Amino acid sequence: MGRVMSGTDKKYVGLNPLPPDFVRLYPPLAFVFEEDCIGCDRCIPLCFFNALKMIDKPEHRYKRVAIVDSDNCTGCGLCFEACPTDAFIWVPDKTIGHPVPKAENNMDDRDI
Amino acid sequence: MNIATSFAGLNMRSPLIVASGPASHGVNQVKLAEELGFGAVVLKTVCSEKYDNMRYWPRPRYKLLDWDKQIGGRSKQFTLYSYEQGYSGTLRDYWDLIGICKAKTNIPIIGSAFADSPEDWVNLAQHIEQSGADAVELDISSPHRPGSLGFKTTFIAAIRSVVNVVKVPVLVKLAPGPDVVSQSVAAEKCGASAITLCNRLRGFDVDIESQRPILHGYFAGVGGPWAKYYNFRHVAEAASVIKIPISASGGVMNAEDVIKYVLLGASTIQILSVIIVNGWETATKIESGIRAYMERKKINSLEEIRGKALRKIVPPDEIIKWSGEPKNGPRNEWN
Repeated sequence: MGRVMSGTDKKYVGLNPLPPDFVRLYPPLAFVFEEDCIGCDRCIPLCFFNALKMIDKPEHRYKRVAIVDSDNCTGCGLCFEACPTDAFIWVPDKTIGHPVPKAENNMDDRDI
Repeated sequence: MNIATSFAGLNMRSPLIVASGPASHGVNQVKLAEELGFGAVVLKTVCSEKYDNMRYWPRPRYKLLDWDKQIGGRSKQFTLYSYEQGYSGTLRDYWDLIGICKAKTNIPIIGSAFADSPEDWVNLAQHIEQSGADAVELDISSPHRPGSLGFKTTFIAAIRSVVNVVKVPVLVKLAPGPDVVSQSVAAEKCGASAITLCNRLRGFDVDIESQRPILHGYFAGVGGPWAKYYNFRHVAEAASVIKIPISASGGVMNAEDVIKYVLLGASTIQILSVIIVNGWETATKIESGIRAYMERKKINSLEEIRGKALRKIVPPDEIIKWSGEPKNGPRNEWN
């Protein structure tokens, strides 16, 4: 996931607007943009797929950040609604086993 | 003090039920619901093979409208805009889900089905029964239903044929209109054991910046705390006409809402949106709220207050009679 994230500008945050060709290109997952996370816990009760938890991160400004368990995330979009700082972004789901459609092969260079 | 409830032949330790939806599509969630004291669980609706495409959940599939992120979801009124479709596994997976839930938990498990022809309804309902479910809920009013399926042409036949072949109680989940009362009466006449009032509304929203419908661009189910007001009315109207028990569903956020539904004659109350936005622990809060109310009002069982407010409904002509408003008349003077 870190590879996908490097050099990302946060152009497509939240649900609006969705990235172009969103449905075709992505089976997306939520991802926490750590710099923006304020460790407020608000996303935790909204996720009922056990895909979000808080971890301690001493070097972070707020000492703790939310992380997404990509195995459990179903891409439902609720955490985007909870986050007061819009720290969630979409990343392609690499946990899905089915063959990747052609258009998705070149994902890493895209703005997400 | 006892909140145990008998509902359509099922004995439940609590009137709270997890409504069909994303909080009841997995075994672990059912287990959690049992630990948190729910009376029963209605599993996620399974669609017949014809609607196989409803197994696929688009991402994202939820949006919270009028939800203030900055105050951490303490918005009193919001709308959960949901494009989640049917159960995400195959039919085989669903029968297994019922089997495992029955084996691992002790609360009643209610299977939920959606189809469009009586044969498919019967097929699904029979499989749900054979898999061990304690009851079947016919989701004849799914907000995601493809096309328009007429109540009279399709559902009367569906309910009849299902009731004839399954032995477990059959719940019929009705849409919040039109004609909830006559549909309830029809369901009762067809032999349904209980009705669920009501499903979510099918709603729609548009983004004025991009000038397109929001999310994926199609109608979605909408619900939220505001939904309780029309639902109180539907439950009250139906409860005063039909004899079979009512499972109320819609807009419950706290114990007060549950008590209101009970006062209007509902036997059980299904909750879901509140679990989604406030987490599973809400269930224990609601339950302790109900117990506190019962203690304060010195009630031993919810049976004592069931339908109490219903009997206090005043017909409009009575209101006119006793109010005797002296200030009526024309207000036509132009100054």
